[in-house]
Amino acid sequence: MRRPPRVEMFTLPQKDFSAPTTCLGPTCMQDLGSSHGDDLEGECSRKLDQKLPELPGGIINLGVSENKLCFDLLSWRLSQSDMQRVEPSLLQYADWRGHLFLREEVAKFLSFYCKSPAPLRPENVVVLNGGASLFSALATVLCEAGEAFLIPTPYYGAITQHVCLYGNVRLAYVYLDSEVTGLDTRPFQLTVEKLEMALREAHSEGVKVKGLILINPQNPLGDIYSPEELQEYLVFAKRHKLHVIVDEVYMLSVFEESVGYRSVLSLESSVLPLFPCRALCRLPDPQRTHVMWATSKDFGMSGLRFGTLYTENQDVATAVASLCRYHGLSGLVQYQMAQLLRDRDWINQVYLPENHARLKAAHTYVSEELRALGIPFLSRGAGFFIWVDLRKYLPKGTFEEEMLLWRRFLDNKVLLSFGKAFECKEPGWFRFVFSDQAHRLCLGMQRVRQVLAGKSQVAEDPAPSQSQEPSDQRR
Amino acid sequence: MSHWSDTLPVPSGQRRDQVPRGHSIYPQLLEITLHLRQAMREHFVQLTSRQGLSLEERRHTQAIREKEALLSCLICRMINLLQSEATSDLELQVPLPSEDSRGDVRYGQRAQLSGQPDPVPQLSDCEAAFVSRDLSNRGIDISVFYQSSFQDYNAYQKDKYHKDKNTLGFINLGTSENKLCMDLMTERLQERDMNCIEDALLQYPDWRGQPFLREEVARFLTYYCRASTQLDPENVVVLNGCCSVFSALAMVLCDPGEAFLVPAPFYGGFAFSSRLYAKVELIPVYLESEVTVTNTQPFQLTVDKLEEALLEARFEGKKVRGLVLINPQNPVGDIYSPDSLMKYLEFAKRYNLHVIIDEIYMLSVFDESVTFHSVLSMKSLPDRNRTHVIWGTSKDFGISGFRFGALYTHNKEVVSAVSAFGYLHSISGIAQHKLCQLLQNTEWIDKVYLPTNCYRLQEAHKYITAKLKALEIPFHNSSSGLYVWINLKKYLDPCTFEEERLLYCRFLDNKLLLSRGKAYMCKEPGWFCLIFADELPRLKLAMRRFCDVLQEQKEALIVKQLEDAMRE
Repeated sequence: MRRPPRVEMFTLPQKDFSAPTTCLGPTCMQDLGSSHGDDLEGECSRKLDQKLPELPGGIINLGVSENKLCFDLLSWRLSQSDMQRVEPSLLQYADWRGHLFLREEVAKFLSFYCKSPAPLRPENVVVLNGGASLFSALATVLCEAGEAFLIPTPYYGAITQHVCLYGNVRLAYVYLDSEVTGLDTRPFQLTVEKLEMALREAHSEGVKVKGLILINPQNPLGDIYSPEELQEYLVFAKRHKLHVIVDEVYMLSVFEESVGYRSVLSLESSVLPLFPCRALCRLPDPQRTHVMWATSKDFGMSGLRFGTLYTENQDVATAVASLCRYHGLSGLVQYQMAQLLRDRDWINQVYLPENHARLKAAHTYVSEELRALGIPFLSRGAGFFIWVDLRKYLPKGTFEEEMLLWRRFLDNKVLLSFGKAFECKEPGWFRFVFSDQAHRLCLGMQRVRQVLAGKSQVAEDPAPSQSQEPSDQRR
Repeated sequence: MSHWSDTLPVPSGQRRDQVPRGHSIYPQLLEITLHLRQAMREHFVQLTSRQGLSLEERRHTQAIREKEALLSCLICRMINLLQSEATSDLELQVPLPSEDSRGDVRYGQRAQLSGQPDPVPQLSDCEAAFVSRDLSNRGIDISVFYQSSFQDYNAYQKDKYHKDKNTLGFINLGTSENKLCMDLMTERLQERDMNCIEDALLQYPDWRGQPFLREEVARFLTYYCRASTQLDPENVVVLNGCCSVFSALAMVLCDPGEAFLVPAPFYGGFAFSSRLYAKVELIPVYLESEVTVTNTQPFQLTVDKLEEALLEARFEGKKVRGLVLINPQNPVGDIYSPDSLMKYLEFAKRYNLHVIIDEIYMLSVFDESVTFHSVLSMKSLPDRNRTHVIWGTSKDFGISGFRFGALYTHNKEVVSAVSAFGYLHSISGIAQHKLCQLLQNTEWIDKVYLPTNCYRLQEAHKYITAKLKALEIPFHNSSSGLYVWINLKKYLDPCTFEEERLLYCRFLDNKLLLSRGKAYMCKEPGWFCLIFADELPRLKLAMRRFCDVLQEQKEALIVKQLEDAMRE
């Protein structure tokens, strides 16, 4: 197995991009140190799992959050003749914010699907090559090196690297528990008290916090924040003059209607009667609220590299656009994205219903399997994953054991993500990605069962020093 | 607290007792600072508009202007801080001006310099800083640096010339783009083989670039760079543009504040790429146009000059990590001979410097009597592990909007470190497929594209140089690239960068966008870069505007000289 590459040669400065030392906490350094764990997730799993079923010995990847259920629909749509247009202007330098025609389409699209009270404006849209780039650019223009964003954990761990690599920005964790205590009504519940506490803690450690990152629908919990909760967090942020980055990359992957997901862009002042005076403010602090969306998840095209920022703050938009020189996407792809996003009929009548139905079926299958095994899990019908509680399989309840269990899964050719990668406080949680074709999913679950039943025919655990931690750069 | 407001002037007629009790001093401080800034600005306008004639005085003016920039930047930060406090205390929302209301720096300064009173208060670069209380300091820097450099380009983007729809729009001979083969490229990219949607293209890729594309790039470079041995796909990293490659390289080769040597004049885009994210300094190795005993050619790079620049940089306590070479050169359009290239590489090896060689114009050599030698064609490199080559399709295939740049380096550490940045500069899988198809079709490239492109470049070059000769404008006769490097010194009196800037503005007023020498860090004022790789009708119109401006400038010079003579 490949070791994480380290930049140690004398010809390079003593910067180690695999492990930026400025990030908070030793654990996050470890995660970064193994950023090339995605070599494992990516290369070997890709090479192997795509060959299935011709190659039944390949690794089944239930670790990377990709939607592989709708390639048929998407490749059909992307092969239509309207997608193949090539114009000189698409081949030349353009506005680094993105072509206007695309930003107009994005504004319309988000207005419609986020149910914004007023039409969103193309001037507030910046287009980049993916959500990771957007995190990087936002961190750079909102924070000085060494400053931090608050983030509730467990969270999509790759953000650590996104904000650190160029921006040298850290994350300050708001730890959540699975235990329902006090005023909490559900596991891993985020409350303003916890936010306040984490903020105080960061301050006491001399860390300057510039913002709050919220992922909604949540990754890895598969849960959503209610509009009321969201409003509370936003008011908290306003009180402390924090920016809020709301990552809504799963907003159209809510496959249970009853969940009642609301985008932050749909918020009106009427939600919370405490602030009726801000007639013009739809949000507590619109100038500090920045919304992210991308096609990677909702359209299952992580390889397409399209992400977008929506912010009313022109300074932020302009500053991010200044960095877009490094995060631009091909004009031809911009054209295709505009065509895709404007095809409301296909999205509403074909893509979304079918995608939701398939997600629901896959979800039902995996959750039934887990129930049959008597394994507790969390999942409320959003996203591609189930947050699975395997604590009972760890006799001592340590992260070492979590790692060993992950290893056992991998040795039995099924790749999962372990809780530590999401900075989960409690050892024993795993994220199962279920958005894959049935035959792979069945095989994957079969292998999971084998491991949990202790029947995997694999050699004993390797020494911890040889073990490799995965990171989840691909979410 | 109160004696503060007694002693300090309170602007806008506000008296101390009007300030409500219980409120902090921040809003007041803010207003005072705003006032101070206004006063400072007026003072500087007075200072700098007193234009003396002597070189000494002009230098002085330049120095004052630099000080002004520094001071106003500091004040802006102060205002930023104060404003955030003031607003938090009073919930006083200072209305944020919309983007459109932001003044145009250049015009503002111009108006001030030409001594015309300006009724509307002009917003300076730092105005961006003033309104952006939400940005970090580096965010402000990035924004201001970018906007001040690209505002003219943005003006062009919003008001482009079109032969039917916008005949009065800007013509851009300032951005290095090849627009001569759009017909070929559009056609090629619409062909059947380009449109392939496979599952793998829509999934997370290898962040170094899809293996099929890296293989193709290695094969392509082996062939077109005439590499002595087959190049290895494992040494290739593909990103969304050469500026991304340069940015990532700067990031992994240098710590913030460290530096690269670059022969100047050089392509100004590097200044961004090294500064925006990586904070790496570019130290110019100044080249001269004049031919002397040691300088046998205009703008000749010699090892002596490199040595001298390195020594000087080290003397100033700067840590130089590498040397950046652009070959074929931008903007001079020359090609380094294998011998001189070897000397530069040996120089670099002697001082343990990395060499970044940008060969982005390697297929745009239109003078058939000249042969380009890629560094990859050298049998033995002095320091293989410190030689990094950049190439992309933007110039040679005229598809700058496609966003593709490649790095080739034997240094595995550099490959892996740059790859760590790959996911921030990734290319869409769909685009990777198209690129692969494009590069694969050597037959089309060799038989159709390259000959046509070369012919069209020759024709455009011929046209533009004939025009320049007719105007008796000296230019550097280039053999490659998309540009001519022209000398407009005779239109500047006195020959300063300030006058160069004013001439540049005159072009702009006539809806012609050019690049001036200063943007290329040229040491001598008066040089301009003219991009000629545009369609003939547009080029003709551009040259008409060009002539008009120079005529205008000539007349203005005569008037000025007359006035001066009368004064004496």
